[in-house]
Amino acid sequence: MAADADAIIAGLGGAENIIEIEPCITRLRTEVRDAAKVDQAALRAAGAHGVMAAGNIVQVVVGPEADTIASDIEDIIG
Amino acid sequence: MTTVLAPVAGAAVGLWAVPDPVFSEGLVGPGLAIEPLREPGRAVAPIAGKIVKLHPHAFVVVGDDGRGVLVHLGIDTVQLKGEGFELLASEGDRVGAGQPVVAWNPVEVEAGGRCPVCPVVALDAVKEAVTRIAEGPVNAGDELFRWT
Repeated sequence: MAADADAIIAGLGGAENIIEIEPCITRLRTEVRDAAKVDQAALRAAGAHGVMAAGNIVQVVVGPEADTIASDIEDIIG
Repeated sequence: MTTVLAPVAGAAVGLWAVPDPVFSEGLVGPGLAIEPLREPGRAVAPIAGKIVKLHPHAFVVVGDDGRGVLVHLGIDTVQLKGEGFELLASEGDRVGAGQPVVAWNPVEVEAGGRCPVCPVVALDAVKEAVTRIAEGPVNAGDELFRWT
């Protein structure tokens, strides 16, 4: 099941909290302004298999649809 | 049932040996990994099917039954942006099991400070569905694990 782009943006603390989003084949590697605004439970509910956070770098594991989801997110947040 | 082939030559190891929690914790699925021979090689399709995702450092083949197998060539190799990898097929191609997909060189990956181990993942499978076939040395195209 593909993860939901809108719900992932919300789980990352909203569009304004996302500095950069880059897809690898299994995950979205994102840089956020405020890591405290990231809601890991919400990201899992959005379809993420797992979330790994280290400082302001948050990796959202979404499976091989990562590049599609990343471009959906980029379209939404502009 | 799907028999998944080793995409590269080397030694079959557990996913736990992969220094990346996405794989070692099985976040995208169970499987095995291959510690590759340190020589230039060609990574082959682990199953017959369609290449639904093709990056220089990783690819996914989905069989006619809808099962997808991910092959990742080294860890953090997305950072190489394709350098040192040569695509031998295109996204959307149908491939036979054992057909070459990407040429690469684990020696260069390692020289760049990255781990060249190759996770081979049964995407979204339950852990119990994967049964190891290979122990120790494998050639590219050898049977690696069974996915029931």
